[in-house]
Amino acid sequence: MNTDTPLIHTSLGNVPVDSLVYEAEWDITPTYIKFVEKYTDKSSGEIVRQNAHVYSMAGVAGEAATGEI
Amino acid sequence: MANTQAMCTSFKSEILQAYHNFGTTVVRAGTTADVFKGAVYLAVGTLGAGTTVYSATNEIANSGTYAAGGATITNATPPAVTGTTAYWTPSAQLQWTSVTFAAADALLVYNSTQGNRAVSVHNFGSQSVTTGTFTLTMPVNGAGTALINIA
Repeated sequence: MNTDTPLIHTSLGNVPVDSLVYEAEWDITPTYIKFVEKYTDKSSGEIVRQNAHVYSMAGVAGEAATGEI
Repeated sequence: MANTQAMCTSFKSEILQAYHNFGTTVVRAGTTADVFKGAVYLAVGTLGAGTTVYSATNEIANSGTYAAGGATITNATPPAVTGTTAYWTPSAQLQWTSVTFAAADALLVYNSTQGNRAVSVHNFGSQSVTTGTFTLTMPVNGAGTALINIA
Protein backbone atom coordinates (compact mmCIF):
# COMPACT_ATOMS: atom_id res chain seq x y z
CA MET A 1 0.00 0.00 0.00
CA ASN A 2 1.36 3.38 -1.00
CA THR A 3 1.36 5.74 2.02
CA ASP A 4 3.23 8.63 0.37
CA THR A 5 1.72 12.03 1.05
CA PRO A 6 0.26 13.40 -2.20
CA LEU A 7 1.86 16.64 -3.36
CA ILE A 8 0.51 19.36 -5.57
CA HIS A 9 2.44 21.95 -7.54
CA THR A 10 1.83 25.50 -6.28
CA SER A 11 3.51 28.90 -6.24
CA LEU A 12 5.36 27.62 -3.13
CA GLY A 13 6.63 24.56 -4.98
CA ASN A 14 5.36 21.04 -4.39
CA VAL A 15 3.42 20.99 -1.13
CA PRO A 16 1.29 18.33 0.62
CA VAL A 17 -2.24 18.49 -0.67
CA ASP A 18 -3.60 18.30 2.90
CA SER A 19 -1.89 21.62 3.71
CA LEU A 20 -4.26 23.34 1.30
CA VAL A 21 -7.93 24.26 1.24
CA TYR A 22 -9.61 23.49 -2.07
CA GLU A 23 -12.55 25.54 -3.33
CA ALA A 24 -14.46 25.35 -6.61
CA GLU A 25 -16.46 28.24 -8.00
CA TRP A 26 -18.81 28.54 -10.96
CA ASP A 27 -19.63 31.75 -12.78
CA ILE A 28 -22.53 31.32 -15.19
CA THR A 29 -23.43 34.18 -17.52
CA PRO A 30 -25.34 34.37 -20.83
CA THR A 31 -22.07 34.38 -22.80
CA TYR A 32 -19.76 32.10 -20.85
CA ILE A 33 -19.51 29.56 -18.04
CA LYS A 34 -16.39 29.78 -15.90
CA PHE A 35 -15.11 27.09 -13.54
CA VAL A 36 -12.42 28.20 -11.07
CA GLU A 37 -10.42 25.91 -8.78
CA LYS A 38 -8.66 27.63 -5.90
CA TYR A 39 -6.06 26.17 -3.52
CA THR A 40 -5.35 28.23 -0.40
CA ASP A 41 -2.49 27.59 2.01
CA LYS A 42 -4.02 26.71 5.39
CA SER A 43 -1.35 28.46 7.43
CA SER A 44 -1.07 31.75 5.53
CA GLY A 45 -4.37 32.03 3.71
CA GLU A 46 -2.46 32.74 0.51
CA ILE A 47 -3.85 31.49 -2.79
CA VAL A 48 -1.05 29.28 -4.04
CA ARG A 49 -2.72 27.70 -7.04
CA GLN A 50 -5.71 28.76 -9.09
CA ASN A 51 -6.99 27.21 -12.29
CA ALA A 52 -9.66 28.75 -14.50
CA HIS A 53 -11.59 27.12 -17.32
CA VAL A 54 -13.89 29.20 -19.51
CA TYR A 55 -16.52 27.73 -21.82
CA SER A 56 -17.66 30.32 -24.31
CA MET A 57 -21.39 30.07 -24.99
CA ALA A 58 -21.48 32.49 -27.91
CA GLY A 59 -19.05 34.44 -30.02
CA VAL A 60 -19.40 37.78 -31.72
CA ALA A 61 -21.64 38.72 -34.62
CA GLY A 62 -21.37 41.27 -37.37
CA GLU A 63 -24.61 42.28 -39.03
CA ALA A 64 -24.61 42.58 -42.80
CA ALA A 65 -26.60 45.40 -44.34
CA THR A 66 -27.14 46.63 -47.87
CA GLY A 67 -27.89 50.21 -48.82
CA GLU A 68 -30.58 51.62 -51.03
CA ILE A 69 -29.50 52.79 -54.47
CA MET B 1 -42.34 37.88 -58.11
CA ALA B 2 -39.99 40.67 -57.28
CA ASN B 3 -36.35 40.96 -56.47
CA THR B 4 -35.28 41.34 -52.85
CA GLN B 5 -32.52 43.57 -51.65
CA ALA B 6 -30.10 41.52 -49.58
CA MET B 7 -26.54 40.76 -48.72
CA CYS B 8 -25.89 37.48 -50.50
CA THR B 9 -25.28 34.72 -47.98
CA SER B 10 -22.56 33.25 -50.17
CA PHE B 11 -20.76 36.59 -49.93
CA LYS B 12 -20.84 36.46 -46.13
CA SER B 13 -19.14 33.10 -46.19
CA GLU B 14 -16.71 34.18 -48.89
CA ILE B 15 -15.66 37.19 -46.81
CA LEU B 16 -14.40 34.67 -44.29
CA GLN B 17 -12.45 32.95 -47.06
CA ALA B 18 -10.96 36.08 -48.70
CA TYR B 19 -12.63 35.60 -52.08
CA HIS B 20 -13.49 39.32 -52.32
CA ASN B 21 -11.13 42.26 -52.25
CA PHE B 22 -12.58 45.76 -52.56
CA GLY B 23 -9.26 47.33 -51.67
CA THR B 24 -6.03 47.66 -53.61
CA THR B 25 -3.27 46.62 -51.24
CA VAL B 26 -4.01 43.08 -50.15
CA VAL B 27 -1.82 40.37 -51.61
CA ARG B 28 -2.80 36.77 -51.05
CA ALA B 29 0.24 34.56 -51.09
CA GLY B 30 -1.53 31.27 -51.64
CA THR B 31 -4.62 29.20 -51.10
CA THR B 32 -3.84 27.95 -47.62
CA ALA B 33 -5.71 29.29 -44.60
CA ASP B 34 -4.08 32.11 -42.69
CA VAL B 35 -2.65 31.48 -39.24
CA PHE B 36 -4.81 32.92 -36.48
CA LYS B 37 -3.70 33.39 -32.90
CA GLY B 38 -5.31 34.13 -29.56
CA ALA B 39 -3.75 36.44 -26.96
CA VAL B 40 -4.97 37.14 -23.43
CA TYR B 41 -5.31 40.67 -22.05
CA LEU B 42 -5.51 42.26 -18.62
CA ALA B 43 -8.77 43.84 -17.55
CA VAL B 44 -7.11 47.28 -17.54
CA GLY B 45 -6.90 47.04 -21.33
CA THR B 46 -9.21 48.83 -23.72
CA LEU B 47 -9.61 46.32 -26.52
CA GLY B 48 -12.86 46.40 -28.44
CA ALA B 49 -14.39 47.16 -31.81
CA GLY B 50 -11.75 49.83 -32.40
CA THR B 51 -8.84 47.39 -32.07
CA THR B 52 -7.06 47.01 -35.41
CA VAL B 53 -3.96 44.98 -34.69
CA TYR B 54 -2.32 42.80 -32.05
CA SER B 55 -0.31 44.71 -29.47
CA ALA B 56 1.62 43.53 -26.43
CA THR B 57 0.27 46.49 -24.43
CA ASN B 58 -1.74 45.13 -21.51
CA GLU B 59 -1.19 41.55 -22.64
CA ILE B 60 -0.54 39.16 -19.75
CA ALA B 61 3.14 38.57 -19.00
CA ASN B 62 5.03 35.48 -20.03
CA SER B 63 4.66 32.65 -17.54
CA GLY B 64 4.32 28.90 -17.72
CA THR B 65 3.46 27.98 -21.29
CA TYR B 66 2.15 31.46 -22.12
CA ALA B 67 4.43 33.58 -24.29
CA ALA B 68 3.80 37.01 -25.80
CA GLY B 69 1.44 36.77 -28.75
CA GLY B 70 -0.52 33.92 -27.19
CA ALA B 71 -1.12 30.66 -28.99
CA THR B 72 -1.93 29.54 -32.50
CA ILE B 73 -5.58 28.72 -32.97
CA THR B 74 -6.40 25.30 -34.40
CA ASN B 75 -8.31 25.84 -37.62
CA ALA B 76 -9.43 22.50 -38.98
CA THR B 77 -13.00 23.45 -39.83
CA PRO B 78 -13.66 25.89 -42.68
CA PRO B 79 -16.34 28.60 -42.49
CA ALA B 80 -19.90 27.38 -42.94
CA VAL B 81 -23.36 28.75 -43.59
CA THR B 82 -26.66 27.95 -41.93
CA GLY B 83 -29.68 29.90 -43.10
CA THR B 84 -28.33 33.37 -43.89
CA THR B 85 -25.54 33.36 -41.30
CA ALA B 86 -21.92 32.62 -42.12
CA TYR B 87 -19.79 31.51 -39.21
CA TRP B 88 -16.50 30.05 -38.07
CA THR B 89 -15.14 28.61 -34.83
CA PRO B 90 -11.69 27.31 -33.89
CA SER B 91 -11.64 23.54 -33.82
CA ALA B 92 -9.84 23.15 -30.49
CA GLN B 93 -9.62 24.86 -27.14
CA LEU B 94 -6.81 27.19 -26.10
CA GLN B 95 -4.96 26.14 -22.98
CA TRP B 96 -1.92 27.32 -21.03
CA THR B 97 -0.40 25.51 -18.05
CA SER B 98 1.67 26.62 -15.04
CA VAL B 99 0.61 30.16 -15.86
CA THR B 100 0.21 33.09 -13.47
CA PHE B 101 -1.64 36.33 -14.14
CA ALA B 102 -3.94 38.69 -12.28
CA ALA B 103 -7.21 40.14 -13.54
CA ALA B 104 -7.28 39.25 -17.21
CA ASP B 105 -10.63 39.47 -18.97
CA ALA B 106 -10.31 39.18 -22.74
CA LEU B 107 -9.03 37.11 -25.64
CA LEU B 108 -7.96 38.83 -28.86
CA VAL B 109 -8.19 36.72 -32.01
CA TYR B 110 -5.87 38.05 -34.70
CA ASN B 111 -4.42 37.10 -38.06
CA SER B 112 -0.68 36.56 -37.75
CA THR B 113 -0.37 35.90 -41.48
CA GLN B 114 -1.81 39.28 -42.41
CA GLY B 115 0.20 41.66 -40.26
CA ASN B 116 -1.38 40.60 -36.96
CA ARG B 117 -4.64 42.29 -37.93
CA ALA B 118 -7.36 42.04 -35.30
CA VAL B 119 -10.37 39.80 -35.85
CA SER B 120 -12.41 39.80 -32.64
CA VAL B 121 -12.34 40.39 -28.91
CA HIS B 122 -14.00 37.97 -26.48
CA ASN B 123 -14.63 38.80 -22.85
CA PHE B 124 -14.71 36.21 -20.06
CA GLY B 125 -14.94 38.38 -16.94
CA SER B 126 -11.98 39.41 -14.82
CA GLN B 127 -10.02 36.33 -13.80
CA SER B 128 -6.76 35.55 -12.03
CA VAL B 129 -4.75 32.34 -12.34
CA THR B 130 -1.91 31.26 -10.02
CA THR B 131 0.56 28.60 -11.09
CA GLY B 132 -2.37 26.93 -12.75
CA THR B 133 -4.09 25.94 -15.95
CA PHE B 134 -6.14 28.39 -17.98
CA THR B 135 -8.49 26.95 -20.57
CA LEU B 136 -10.69 28.67 -23.12
CA THR B 137 -13.17 26.23 -24.63
CA MET B 138 -14.80 27.32 -27.85
CA PRO B 139 -18.56 27.61 -28.36
CA VAL B 140 -20.68 25.33 -30.50
CA ASN B 141 -19.86 25.93 -34.16
CA GLY B 142 -23.28 26.97 -35.45
CA ALA B 143 -25.17 30.00 -36.62
CA GLY B 144 -25.49 32.42 -33.72
CA THR B 145 -23.28 30.44 -31.37
CA ALA B 146 -20.03 30.24 -33.33
CA LEU B 147 -17.06 32.33 -32.29
CA ILE B 148 -17.49 34.55 -35.35
CA ASN B 149 -20.83 35.14 -37.05
CA ILE B 150 -21.81 37.32 -39.99
CA ALA B 151 -25.57 37.44 -39.81
